Amino acid sequence: MIRRLLIFFAIAFVALIIAGCGKEKQVARTGKTYTIGMSQCNLGEPWRVQMNADIKAAAAKHPELKVIFKDAQNKTTVQQDQVKEFINLGVDLIIISPKEARPLTKPVADAIDAGIPVIVLDRKVEGDKYTCFIGGDNRKIGEEAGKYMVKILGGKGNVVELKGLMTSTPAVERHEGFMKGIAGSQIKIIFSADCHWLEPDAQKEMASALSRFPNPEDIDAVYAHNDPCAHGAYIAAKNEGKGREKRIKFIGIDALPHEGIRYVKEGLLTATFQYPTGGAEAIETALKILKGEKVQKNIILGTRVFTKENVNKGGEAL
Amino acid sequence: MRSVKTSPDTSTIMTEKSTHEHCVARRLLEFAGQFRGVLAFLVVFVLGIIFAPVSLKTGHSTFLNWATQKDILFEYAEIGILAAGMTLVIISAGIDLSVGSVLGFAATFFSLLLIGFGWSAPAAIAVTVLATAGMGAVSGVIISRFQMQPFVATLGMMLLARGAAKWISGGIKVQPGAKEWYAIQNSNPPIFDWMSSPVGPLGLKPITLAFIFSIIIFWILLRFTSFGRHLYAIGGNEEAARLSGIRVGLVKTVAYTLCGLAAGVAGVSNASRMTLGDPEAGFTYELDAIAAVVIGGTSLMGGRGGMFFTFLGTLIIAYISKILSLRGIEEAPRLMIRGALIVIAVLIQQSKKRH
Repeated sequence: MIRRLLIFFAIAFVALIIAGCGKEKQVARTGKTYTIGMSQCNLGEPWRVQMNADIKAAAAKHPELKVIFKDAQNKTTVQQDQVKEFINLGVDLIIISPKEARPLTKPVADAIDAGIPVIVLDRKVEGDKYTCFIGGDNRKIGEEAGKYMVKILGGKGNVVELKGLMTSTPAVERHEGFMKGIAGSQIKIIFSADCHWLEPDAQKEMASALSRFPNPEDIDAVYAHNDPCAHGAYIAAKNEGKGREKRIKFIGIDALPHEGIRYVKEGLLTATFQYPTGGAEAIETALKILKGEKVQKNIILGTRVFTKENVNKGGEAL
Repeated sequence: MRSVKTSPDTSTIMTEKSTHEHCVARRLLEFAGQFRGVLAFLVVFVLGIIFAPVSLKTGHSTFLNWATQKDILFEYAEIGILAAGMTLVIISAGIDLSVGSVLGFAATFFSLLLIGFGWSAPAAIAVTVLATAGMGAVSGVIISRFQMQPFVATLGMMLLARGAAKWISGGIKVQPGAKEWYAIQNSNPPIFDWMSSPVGPLGLKPITLAFIFSIIIFWILLRFTSFGRHLYAIGGNEEAARLSGIRVGLVKTVAYTLCGLAAGVAGVSNASRMTLGDPEAGFTYELDAIAAVVIGGTSLMGGRGGMFFTFLGTLIIAYISKILSLRGIEEAPRLMIRGALIVIAVLIQQSKKRH
C-alpha cells in the first residue's frame, strides 16, 4: 500500500515537472520587460489557432514582450478564472477573445479596476469598461463578397448560398452584407441552406442543390459563409461527375493559410475574403498602451480578397 | 455497482485476521490507506507551493495567497456541492450520473423564474431546489422500487433533465432581454451580484459558503444520524441491512433526493456566477464530482468513505487544475495528467480490497 502511494506521488511529481518543463523561469522584471496574458476562448477552431499564431509571431518581433497563452476550452467559467489568474499574477496587460459577452464583462472590469489594461478581440464585452476592442466587420466582408460576385458574373446569374449557423451573429451579418452587395444586380439566390459552418453539411446541401438544378447553366456560383463550406460545395459538384465544378465559381470567407488560401492556390475556390484575426494589431496596440500612448477605443479591421491572380502576393486590401 | 456482498465490510475482516501476523505493518498500511486523502492533499499543496509561478508585482507565490485560495474555493464550489450530494449516493453503493444535467436545469429554471417571471430571489431559489430534489426523488424511487441499476436510472434522468433545461428555455441562454416577454429586460438581478461578491470578515462569497455548508450539513447527517448509519449499512451489505430492519428503499430514495437538492444549489450558484441561465451548463460535471468523491477515498463499492474525504478530494482536483492553469500548461498534457491521477487514485483503492 505504502509503495503504491509512493508511486502515485512520484508519478504526480514527475508529471508536474514534465509539464513545467520548457516553460522558462519567470524572468526578473528589468525596466523594459512586459508580460501579456492572453485568454483564448477555445483552440478547437482553426481561425482561433491562427489568432494565437498571429499574436505569437507579432510578439516575437519584440523581445521585451512575453505572452502567456491560456485556452479556456470553450468554457465561460474557465475563462472567468483565467482573467482572475492574470490579475493575481500581476501581468502588465490582458488580451482576451471572449466566449460570451455577459459573463466576462465583470472579470474584464475587475482587471481594469486593478489597473491592468485589457484588449478585447473579436467578440465584445458589455458596457465600456475595457481599454480597446479590435474586431472584423462581417457585414462589410459580406458586402465586398457580394460586389465581387456582381463583378465576376457580369451582374447576372444564379447563386447558391451556403450559410453558417444562422443563430450566430457572424452568419446573419455575412448574409445581410452579401444581400446589400448584390442589391440592384440581376443576381438571384436560387437555393440557400444553413450548414452550421460545417463542411459535411455543406456537401450534403450542395448535393441537394445540384440535383434540384440539374442543367449545367442552372448554377453560376456558390457563396459560402466560410471556406470549409465552399470547399464542401466544390467536392459535391465534383462528385456529381458532370464536370460542373469547373464552371461554377466558389467563393468563401475567412482566408486561413491552410484552408481558404490553399484552396484558392489549388484553383478550387475563385476567391476568399479574409476575416482578420486581429492578432498582429493586438500586439501593436498593446505596445502603444504599455508605452502610455492613447489608443482608439474601437478598432474595426478591413478585409483582404485572395484570388488566383493575387494569392502569391498576399491578397489585396479592400 | 450494487452487487450484494455476502461478507460484511471487508476492511473489518482484514483487521481481525491481521492481528495474528505482521499486525503492526498491516495497521500502518490500513492507517495510510484510510488517510490517503489527507496525504494526497498535503502532497498536492506542497506541489502547488513549488510549481505555481511567482507574482510579477510582489514576488510572492501566486499559490500561497489568500486571494488565490479564495478563488479556488469559489471556482470549484459547484463541483464540491455536487460531490457532497454524490458522496451520500456512492456510500449507499449507488451512483448518480444526472447531477451535471440537473445543475443545468436548475441554472436555467432559476434564471427563468428570476428574469423571465420576475420572481423574488428567495422564492426562485426555494422552488428551484424543490424541483431538483424532486428529480432526485424520482431517480431514487425508480432505483429502490423497481430495482433498477442506478447507472441506468440516472442515465435516463441525465437526458431528461438536459432536455427539460432546453425545453423550458426554448434552447437559448436565459438572460435579461433575451426574449421580449421577460420581466427583467436590462438590469442584472441583484442576487447574481450578491452570490458572487465577498461577504463577512474572511471575504468568502456566498457560493463558497454554500459549498462549505453543504459539506458540514451532509457530514453531520452521515456522522450523527441514524440515516447516515443506515446509509453505510446499505452500502456495506444491502441484504443484511434489509434483514436487520432498515427501510432500504426509503433511505436510498432520501439519498438521491438530497443529491438532487445539492445539484439544485449548485445550479443556482452556476447561474449567479454566469449571470445567466445556460441550458448547457454543467456538461460532464458529474464526472468531476465522481472523481472528487473517489480521489478523496470514498469507495465506489459503497459502505466506506465520508464527507470530509470528499472535501479534500474536491480540493485535490481543484489544486491540480489550478496549478496547471496558473502555469499556463496546454490542454493536452493537462488532460493526460488529470486522467492519470484519477486512475492511479482508484487503483490504490482497489488494491486494498484484494488482500
